[in-house]
Amino acid sequence: MKPFPTWLLDRTKNKDSHTLAAYEKAGGYQALATVLKKPMSPADVIQEMKVSELRGRGGAGFPSGMKWSFMPDPAKDPRPRYLAINADESEPGTCKDRVLMEQDPHGLIEGALIACYAIRAQAAYIYVRGEYRKSYDRCQAAIDEARKKGLVGKNVLGTDFSCEVHMHKGAGAYICGEETGLMESLEGKRGHPRPKPPFPAMFGLWGQPTTVNNVETIFNVPFIVTRGGAWHASIGTKGSKGNFLCGISGHVNRPGVYELPFGVTAREIVDEVAGGVWKNRKCKAWFPGGSSCSLVKGEDLDVVLDHDSLKTKGSSLGTAAMIIIDDHTSIARVMEIIARFYDHESCGQCSQCREGTQWLAQIFHRIATGHGLPGDVDALDALAKGMAPGKTICALSDAAAIPALSAVRLFRDELEECVRQKQDPIPYQRVEYAGAH
Amino acid sequence: MVKITVNGREVEADPKQPLIAACHGHDVDVPHYCYHPGLSTVGSCRMCQVEVQQGTAPGRVMVACRTYPAEGMVVSTESEKSHATRRECLEFLLKNHPLDCPICDKAGECDLQDFTYQEGQATGRSKEPRRPLEKRHSLGDVIVLDQERCILCSRCVRFFEEVPKKAQLTVASLGSRSVIATFADQPLTGNYQGNIADLCPVGALTLKGFRFQARVWNLVKMASTCAECSRGCSIQVEVLRGGDVKRFRPRENAAVNRWWMCDTGRFAFDHVNAKDRLVNSLVRDGHGLAPRSIEDGIAAVRALLDAHSDALFVASPFCTVEEGASIQALAKRRGTTALFVAPGPNGLKDALLHTGDPCPNRRGLTELGLQPIEPKELAKKLASSKAAVLFGERVVELAGAAAIAALPTSTALAVFDCKAPDAAACTVAIGVPTSVERTGTWINVDGQKGPIAAVKPAPAGVRALARHLAALDLRAEAARS
Amino acid sequence: MALPQKLVSEFDQLVKKYPDRKSGLIPALHRCQEELGGWISPQIMEDLAAYFGLEPVEVYGVASFYPMFRMRPVGKHFVSVCHNISCELRGATEILEHVCKVTGAKPYGTSADGQFTVWPVECQGACANAPMIDVDGVYHEDLTNAKVDALLGGLKK
Repeated sequence: MKPFPTWLLDRTKNKDSHTLAAYEKAGGYQALATVLKKPMSPADVIQEMKVSELRGRGGAGFPSGMKWSFMPDPAKDPRPRYLAINADESEPGTCKDRVLMEQDPHGLIEGALIACYAIRAQAAYIYVRGEYRKSYDRCQAAIDEARKKGLVGKNVLGTDFSCEVHMHKGAGAYICGEETGLMESLEGKRGHPRPKPPFPAMFGLWGQPTTVNNVETIFNVPFIVTRGGAWHASIGTKGSKGNFLCGISGHVNRPGVYELPFGVTAREIVDEVAGGVWKNRKCKAWFPGGSSCSLVKGEDLDVVLDHDSLKTKGSSLGTAAMIIIDDHTSIARVMEIIARFYDHESCGQCSQCREGTQWLAQIFHRIATGHGLPGDVDALDALAKGMAPGKTICALSDAAAIPALSAVRLFRDELEECVRQKQDPIPYQRVEYAGAH
Repeated sequence: MVKITVNGREVEADPKQPLIAACHGHDVDVPHYCYHPGLSTVGSCRMCQVEVQQGTAPGRVMVACRTYPAEGMVVSTESEKSHATRRECLEFLLKNHPLDCPICDKAGECDLQDFTYQEGQATGRSKEPRRPLEKRHSLGDVIVLDQERCILCSRCVRFFEEVPKKAQLTVASLGSRSVIATFADQPLTGNYQGNIADLCPVGALTLKGFRFQARVWNLVKMASTCAECSRGCSIQVEVLRGGDVKRFRPRENAAVNRWWMCDTGRFAFDHVNAKDRLVNSLVRDGHGLAPRSIEDGIAAVRALLDAHSDALFVASPFCTVEEGASIQALAKRRGTTALFVAPGPNGLKDALLHTGDPCPNRRGLTELGLQPIEPKELAKKLASSKAAVLFGERVVELAGAAAIAALPTSTALAVFDCKAPDAAACTVAIGVPTSVERTGTWINVDGQKGPIAAVKPAPAGVRALARHLAALDLRAEAARS
Repeated sequence: MALPQKLVSEFDQLVKKYPDRKSGLIPALHRCQEELGGWISPQIMEDLAAYFGLEPVEVYGVASFYPMFRMRPVGKHFVSVCHNISCELRGATEILEHVCKVTGAKPYGTSADGQFTVWPVECQGACANAPMIDVDGVYHEDLTNAKVDALLGGLKK
C-alpha cells in the first residue's frame, strides 16, 4: 500500500483531543471563521460540497452537496429548518462515528455549524444512540465549551449567523438510524419510518425542511471548506472521493477503525492494515460495509473498496464496516445471528418486514442448529425476495433480505448440507479469546 | 381533477386523495388492511399494491394508499404483478395467524379470509409454530382482544387517537413482538369502543356481546337509522334469520356519522328484541285489561274519542314523519293540536356524535307542527284531562311509566305501544311495531333524513300505527256522514 | 405520586431544546430510568404523561418500543452482553456464558440475590474491540474471562 494523506483521525492522536483547547491548537474552527468572515455565501458552501464529490458516509452514499441543495429556497419557503445528524450508529460492524465523537467532538460541531449555515438551518440536533454515553457526554461538553467561546448560539463569532447545536439521546432502536425513523424518534415517538414522499427536505423534523447527515459526512465538511472541494475530489476513485473510516472487525489480527483513501483493495486492508486473518486462517467470506450488504466470498478480497467496485461483486460499500469471517466458521451460524438481529430490530409496521425478519431468523436458526427441513434453503430465497426490494416503507426489510439472499447465492451447498446432515458440517469452535490489544 | 386509467377505463380522480380512494370511488376493489378513509394513512400493511405506470417508465407496483393520482397515470389492480405482490404480502400476514376461522366470529366478514380466497393463496410455506399470545384478552366491557389473530394494522390505535381524540390503545413493543395493548392493562373507556370491532379487518377485536352469537352469513342486514338520540346515525340492522337483532353497526354517511356510532346506540336492542310484546289489543272490562281483537280495540278507541271531543293526542318521539303527519291530520280534523313526548337531555351528550337528546325524530315532528312536551308537564296535563291517546313505540316509557301508572282513573287513556302499559287509567291498548319492524323517516338534529327499515316482520297481531290511524279516521268519516 | 422536583426542573430545561416539548420524552424516560429504580414503572409513565400532556398509553407505546427502556424491574447492576456478529466472531458466546456464571443470572434474567441482570443485546458499536459488555452504562471492551472476573467480581458485594 502506498503512503497516503490523512486528516480524519489525525487530531485524535493529540493529547486531550476532545477539548476545545486541543482542537483550537490543531487549527480548529478556522473553517467556520473562513465561512463566516470571508464571507462565503450558503450557496458557495454548497457549491464547494458539490465540487468535493463527498458522498454520505451513513451507508447509502448519497452525494452530500446535492442533498443540501434539495432544501427549499428560503425566499420562497420561510419555514424554520433543521439539520439532524445521524449518530445512531448501530449497523453491525460499524463503530467509526463513535471514535470521532469521543475523540474529536469539536470537529463534528464545527462541521454541523457550517452545514447549518449552508442549508440555513437554525439548529442542529445530534441524535446519538443511547448506549454511546461517552460520545454523548463528550459532544455535550464540547458544545458547552464552544458556546462559552461564542461559537454556538446567538451571533456566532460576532456575525449575524446564529445557530444552536443540541444533543439528543436515542434509546437503542436500530431503526432510528433510518432517517425518517430518526426524525420520528427525535419528535418523541415510536421510531416508525415515514413513508416517502414527502422527503425530509420538504417535510422533516416537526414537519419542517430538514437535512439528515451522518456524523462522518459532517466531520468532513470543515476540511473541504478549508482545503477546497477540488482538493477532496482529487483523492480516491471515480465516484468515491476522499478518505473514509473503515471499521474492520471479526477474524483479523488487528481489528480497528482506520482512515483509508478510496481505492485500496479489501485484501490490502485485511492483510496490511488489520494484520491479516487471525490464527493464520483464510477468509471465507466478508461483509464490506455492515451486515446489511451482501456477503462477498473470501477469494474476492482483491476488489477495491469503493461505491462502484463492490457492485461488481454483488455487494455495496454500506458503512465501510468490514466484517471478516474465517474458514472455520459456519455460514449458517453467521446468518442465524444476522437474521436474529433484523428480527429484533424491525419496527413492525410493514407486514413483510415484521413477519419476514422473524421467518428468516427462524429458518436460519433451525438450519444452524441441525433442525433444517427440506426446502428451507429455497424458502429462504423465496421469502427474502418477497421482502425486497422496495416493498416496504423503509429499507430495513431489504437490509434483512440482502445478506440472506447473498448467503443462499454464495453458500447454498453449505446450507443444504446442514439441512441434509441434520447438523452443521462446520461445528462451532469455542473462542477462548485472549484480547487483541 | 386529473384523468387516470384504471383497469383500462378512463376515470377522473382527485389528485389530493390517495389512489386507493379513487379506485374505490369507481367501484374498483383494492384489497387493504391498514387504510381506512376515516383515519390517517400509515401505509404499513403493504396489501394495497397495484401496478402503476407513468409516462414511458415501466410499470411499478406501489401501495395505492400512499400513491396519488397524476394526469395520465395508468393503474392496473388486476395485473399479474399486483396479484403476485399481494399474494406475497398475504403469505407474510398469514405466517403467525392462527387460522381459527371455524371458531372466529369474524369469519364471513374477515378481510384476511376474503382476500386470501380472492387471491387464491391456498397454501403457505410456514412450518413454524404460531406466535403464542393471549387469545382472550379483555379490553373492558365491550371488546375482547385475540392477540394471535391481530395483523397489527393499527386502525384501532389510530381510531382512539383521531376520532374520540383520546389515545387508549398502542402498539406495544416492536417488530414481531408487537401487540396491541392498553396502558397497564386498563379497560377501554368511553362511548365509542365498539367501533374498533368494526374497524378491525380480522377477528382480533370482537364485541363481547356478539361473541358466539351468530354466524354472520346467517344475518339479514338492512340499512336503517339509530333510535338512541337525535343524531340519527345511519346504521345497519342485523337480524339472525327469523329471530333477534344481533347487531347495530354504523353505516357510512358523510353528513351524519361518517363511519362511526356510539356504544349506547350500538347495543340498544333490548327493546326491539323484547319478548313481552303487546299483540292485538287489550280492552278494559270489569276485571281489568282483557285481550281482544284489533278491531275491538279500535272500536274502544273510537268510543273514547267520540265521548271526549277534547281528548289529548300525544305522539312518541319515535314516531316517524309519516306517522306524525297522520296523527297531526287526525288531531287537526278534531280541532286540536297533537303533542309529542320530548324528554330533556339525558346527559350522554359528547363532542362526537351523541346529542344527549333521546328523541330521534324531534326535528321531524316539530316541523310537522306537533308540540314537544316534557314528561313532567305531560303528566300534569294528562292528570287534568278527561281523555288522551298516546301514540307510538315506547310512548309510555318516554312519558314516564311510573307517571302514567299513577294517573287517576278520571283520565280515560288509550295507548298504542309495543308493550302493554301498567296503568289503571288505561282503557284500551293496541300493539304497534318497533323501529326494526316498520318503515318510515326520522329527521335528525341537523335536518338530515334518516330512513328506518322493516328488517323483520312484526309479530302476528301487530299492525303498523298508520293502519290503526287509518281505521280510526275512516270510522270518523263514516260517523260524520 | 409526582416526579421529583429535581427531575421536573431538569425537564423544564430539556424541553426548551425543541420546538415541540414532546421531543423531550425519550431523554426524560432515560433520566427517570436512571433516577427512579432502573426501570420504567407504570407510575413513571403516568407521571411523564402528565408532564408532557400525553395519555399514559402513548408513553407506554414509546417506552416499550425502545430496547434500552426496561419494562420490568431489574437487578442492581445491569449487564448488557453484545451478541451480534462482530462480538460473536470473537467469543461473545463464551463471554455470555462466563458473565452468567459469575453473576448467577441467566440471560434475560436477574440473579437470585437481585444484584445482576444479564441482557444479551444487539450491536453496541464496539465491533473493533469485540467482545464487549456494558455494565451500568459503561463499555468494557476487548474482554477476556479474566477481565470479566475482575470487573464483575468487584461489583459483587
